[in-house]
Amino acid sequence: MEEEDQQKVADLIKELVLRLLSQNPISGSQPLTSNSPAFQKYLRYAVRILSARLRSSIAPDSAAIAESIKRRLANQGKSSQALTFSELYTKFASKTGPGSVDNKWAVLHLLDIISEDRKNASTQLDSSSVLLPNLAFNDAELGNDSWVSRRKGGKEKGWSNGVLLVSKDPENLRDIAFREFVNLVKEENEVKEEVLVRDVLYACQGIDGNYVKFDASSDGYVLLDSIKVPRATGLMVRKLCELGWLFRKVKGHISESMDRFPAEDVGTVGQAFCAALQDELSDYYKLLAVLEAQSLNPIPLVSDSASSGNYLSLRRLSVWFAEPMVKMRLMAVLVDKCKVLKGGAMAGAIHLHAQHGDPMVQEFMKRLLRRVCSPLFEMVRSWVLEGELEDIFAEFFIVGQPVKAESLWREGYMLHAGMLPSFISQSLAQRILRTGKSINFLRVCCDDRFWAEAATQAAAAAGTSTRRGGLGYGKTDALESLVDEAAKRIDKHLLDVIYNRYKFKEHCLAIKRYLLLGQGDFVQYLMDIVGPELSEPANTISSFQLAGLLETAIRASNAQYDDPDILDRLRVQMMPHGSGDRGWDVFSLEYDARVPLDTVFTESVMAKYLRIFNFLWKLRRVEHALIGAWKTMKPNCITSHSFNKLQHAVKLQLLSTLRRCQVLWDEMNHFVSNLQYYIMFEVLEVSWSTLSNEMEVAKDLDDLLAAHEKYLNSIVEKSLLGERSQSLYKSLFVLFDLILRFRSHADRLYEGIHELQARTETSLPSQDKSKSRKQVSDRSSEPGSWISDGRKALTQRTSEFLRNMGQDLDAISKEYSLLLENFISQLPVQQHVDLKFLLFRLDFTEFYSRMHPSS
Amino acid sequence: MPREIITLQVGQCGNQIGMEFWKQLCLEHGISKDGILEDFATQGGDRKDVFFYQADDQHYIPRALLIDLEPRVINGIQNSEYRNLYNHENIFVSDHGGGAGNNWASGYHQGKGVEEDIMDMIDREADGSDSLEGFVLCHSIAGGTGSGMGSYLLETLNDRYSKKLVQTYSVFPNQMETSDVVVQPYNSLLTLKRLTLNADCVVVLDNTALNRIAVERLHLSNPTFAQTNSLVSTVMSASTTTLRYPGYMNNDLVGLLASLIPTPRCHFLMTGYTPLTVERQANVIRKTTVLDVMRRLLQTKNIMVSSYARTKEASQAKYISILNIIQGEVDPTQVHESLQRIRERKLVNFIEWGPASIQVALSRKSPYVQTAHRVSGLMLASHTSIRHLFSKCLSQYEKLRKKQAFLDNYRKFPMFADNDLSEFDESRDIIESLVDEYKACESPDYIKWGMEDPDHVLTGEGNASGTVDPKLAV
Repeated sequence: MEEEDQQKVADLIKELVLRLLSQNPISGSQPLTSNSPAFQKYLRYAVRILSARLRSSIAPDSAAIAESIKRRLANQGKSSQALTFSELYTKFASKTGPGSVDNKWAVLHLLDIISEDRKNASTQLDSSSVLLPNLAFNDAELGNDSWVSRRKGGKEKGWSNGVLLVSKDPENLRDIAFREFVNLVKEENEVKEEVLVRDVLYACQGIDGNYVKFDASSDGYVLLDSIKVPRATGLMVRKLCELGWLFRKVKGHISESMDRFPAEDVGTVGQAFCAALQDELSDYYKLLAVLEAQSLNPIPLVSDSASSGNYLSLRRLSVWFAEPMVKMRLMAVLVDKCKVLKGGAMAGAIHLHAQHGDPMVQEFMKRLLRRVCSPLFEMVRSWVLEGELEDIFAEFFIVGQPVKAESLWREGYMLHAGMLPSFISQSLAQRILRTGKSINFLRVCCDDRFWAEAATQAAAAAGTSTRRGGLGYGKTDALESLVDEAAKRIDKHLLDVIYNRYKFKEHCLAIKRYLLLGQGDFVQYLMDIVGPELSEPANTISSFQLAGLLETAIRASNAQYDDPDILDRLRVQMMPHGSGDRGWDVFSLEYDARVPLDTVFTESVMAKYLRIFNFLWKLRRVEHALIGAWKTMKPNCITSHSFNKLQHAVKLQLLSTLRRCQVLWDEMNHFVSNLQYYIMFEVLEVSWSTLSNEMEVAKDLDDLLAAHEKYLNSIVEKSLLGERSQSLYKSLFVLFDLILRFRSHADRLYEGIHELQARTETSLPSQDKSKSRKQVSDRSSEPGSWISDGRKALTQRTSEFLRNMGQDLDAISKEYSLLLENFISQLPVQQHVDLKFLLFRLDFTEFYSRMHPSS
Repeated sequence: MPREIITLQVGQCGNQIGMEFWKQLCLEHGISKDGILEDFATQGGDRKDVFFYQADDQHYIPRALLIDLEPRVINGIQNSEYRNLYNHENIFVSDHGGGAGNNWASGYHQGKGVEEDIMDMIDREADGSDSLEGFVLCHSIAGGTGSGMGSYLLETLNDRYSKKLVQTYSVFPNQMETSDVVVQPYNSLLTLKRLTLNADCVVVLDNTALNRIAVERLHLSNPTFAQTNSLVSTVMSASTTTLRYPGYMNNDLVGLLASLIPTPRCHFLMTGYTPLTVERQANVIRKTTVLDVMRRLLQTKNIMVSSYARTKEASQAKYISILNIIQGEVDPTQVHESLQRIRERKLVNFIEWGPASIQVALSRKSPYVQTAHRVSGLMLASHTSIRHLFSKCLSQYEKLRKKQAFLDNYRKFPMFADNDLSEFDESRDIIESLVDEYKACESPDYIKWGMEDPDHVLTGEGNASGTVDPKLAV
């Protein structure tokens, strides 16, 4: 059946062509047969037209077409015709069954077009376009006539209004003008448009065409100068060729990067970037391939009556290129930006461009970024969950450096600001840094293996696996939650390890007890037993011996019950000493914190502790000296009736000297003990309780470090050891030295008095005198002895001794008053408020403010 | 090498309060009645070796000498559940067991007689300690043994162990009720002289005030000796907490006392304690912040020394020194606030001739003793109003002396033989000068007190007159 149909169609076409040609007056001179080559040519052409798959833009709906025809007729005022048409259409449409027309809408459409065409023909010069232009170039009228008349005789009126006659009129001026214009155009267009189109397509693949070539001097694809084209075309070509230029750039970057890999400056992110670009380019290639195919097959449109036979014109190309151009431009810009960048910096730079209002651009950039960032996110993931720094190309925003275990936390890893893409916030970056650092810290310093569990839990909680993937650009929430979960668990685990396994608190407490002298009984014994040793010149002291004494002090005090591990870390340290130094000046205690706690107790931290120790130790020494002085003058040491034999005035003198000594002692003791109370309550205990509280709430090691730092600094500041109170600290030490001097004076005074007491109590026989005189002159600095000849001499000696001692005491007292006044007057002008507590204590009864109302 | 302290409890009263003291110490250190360390008390932090020595690993023995001239009280101890606590070699009861008959002279004389025995015991104890810090004497000043023998021991210790500290807990008699000891004023006076000259520190426990506190603060209508003694043991144990629980400061007796006693002669300390309870009466729970504790410690009603001062005199009375020992869980920041409040409200009057301040020592509380109070506090203070107590003693003595009453009992003994009552006169003078010195401390010119003519030296034999006899003021 089908074959039969086809045969029928072929026969029909043959006949149609034959008829058309036979009616052609030009070809009419040569009799046409179905075998003549001309006929064959026309036939082929006709077949091609008919078999063209280009479809009409109208929906295949016969009713709609009928309706539109009817409406048009009505619009044209031919309402009777419209009615007739609708009647006819109803009949036509109702005809079904064998013998009726199947393709009703097509028939209608054909008729409609023909009728329209005929009407248009009146305005068209080229009459051949009316129906089969190439078949019956000069015989449109006839063709039309016969074609239409056979099918729709009722429409004769429409084509008989003589429009085509006008076009055929050789005298029509417009026609002539147009012909001339066409000739002109043809002359200018030395190169055909399709050639240009092909060249442009080549250029867009980075290949030089016949006429469009890359010109290095103007950095772009240009038409050869020798080619004459209209300016508009030239511009168009140049515009289109921008794509080629951009492509060349992108492509160049990709191949360059790929070639250089694995060079340091490309890196995995750069690779990912190139791969993503490559992908984008392959889309572009597809487009170009399609365009190229189309340019080789010029296919005219049925409805297109323009003279251009090419489907792909430059203009069309520019439309086709609009989107790729935008993308290519973006890529080129990115390539430009990223040329010198790598890693996180590159991702950041791209991210900056992704902030775009155009959804297309945004989508494009997102796609690109997802690819580009994936190595980066992979690094984050393995850093946060495994603590691995998989960054051979230095692309990550965290950089590690080989350091000793003790400084691993502080210096081992840093944020590299340049590599931090802006879509990761600073605080998030810090958290990321800390989490991985914690893992490394646990691994390296704490020798801990249980962190992996925490990491796994964290990953599970965050909904990602510890395996690759799962993170990506644009999923900042996922990243944050992963980091948060990991940080929370790892940090907690780290703190647990620090607190429980490495007993951070206990060590802090131990340092407070021993280096900050909190263990009073221990400090006391230590001072008792190392005291004599330390009075020797520093270079004669053996630190080995001191270590032994330290051990003794520990055994003798409650320190013996302390953890042996803690005691083991406590050592004697001799500071570097000069020639004149005594043991007191160089003695100090040291606490060996060991890994991993040396991260907190670094050398500089221990140096601060050392300074505090030295200060407190000196303070203790002064206190010790004052207590010692009190012991020599304690209440029951002088029995009253001893001096009955003394002259009254001498007694008064004695009384006065003793009283002055006691009062001065009281004043000094008040100062020293209140300074101690201040140090204890306002400095150490308060700082400690703050530290304890902060330790409770610390979430990570950084918090802990900060808390400890704060603790230490507050002690340093408040103990007058800070920068700001240097002068105060100096005056304090002058005061301390004066108090130590006072002690030796007081000792001498009381020694003398005891001597006197001994003499007077046993009313000495003369033979004893020489012996006692020897003793006295040995021990006392006074020249001669108390007693030479009898009572009068004794009185004189005593008086002289007392006067000297009294003068010395007065001098000390005066100096002390001046120094203390100076010290106290400096207190209120100090910057920090804590010192007002000290002033408050020292001047509790307003004794000093009464004494010096001015200050 | 602890700073050991040897306790001497002399006489009936001394042994009674001593026993209470040891009971309390045992409780606080987790030591059983037999001296065995309880299982729960193994973790340290406290220092037991200041007051105890270890016979073996678990066995703690008090460094205490129990001395009496009559056996009643000591027998009581030896029959009590604490009989195995003490070292039996450290118990001395005189052979005749007749006591001192409430006669100072008898006690003093007998003390001289047994000096060798007792000093042997003391020497043995002293040898047994690494670095003996001093002695604590518990006694009363009114009776015979505690006062007389105590006085003798004080003199001997001062002579023999002149470098060691001697602290006493001296119970002053109740002035409110008529005592069965009529010669109480004589005994007191004579003992006071030794306390003034031979002791380094006297913690005055005034039975009058203790009774008053028991009645007024604890609402006991008729307080027994046991009840007042438990107050004493509370004070004694609290005043030694810083020695037994070492901290930053005040870890030894000398450190504790030095700041409290800037003027050697004025070494009589008053005590105050809050919140006060006696055994089985912990139902009164009071709000206890550091400020509350410190403020209450400054209130007269909590002071364990009666103030006989008249209003005018009382307003002039001044603190020479104060040490508050705060026990329990204390936020150190509260200390400063409390001090500030106390200064703002002018709750305390200090001497004007030198700087002074309230010293505060924070001390731990024994974990083994449950108390209803979070914070408790003991005040040790040197206050000039104590002179009125001495004045009272003086005036009672004067009354009795004027009548020449009961002197015969004293004349039987060598010190007062041949009607030589100069010891009485000398004691009187010394106490009088003590009162004067306390009075002088109330004036800003204390430094110049007693020296009218300090620059005038070596003017021959002429007797320049001061306000007091200088010999007494030394």
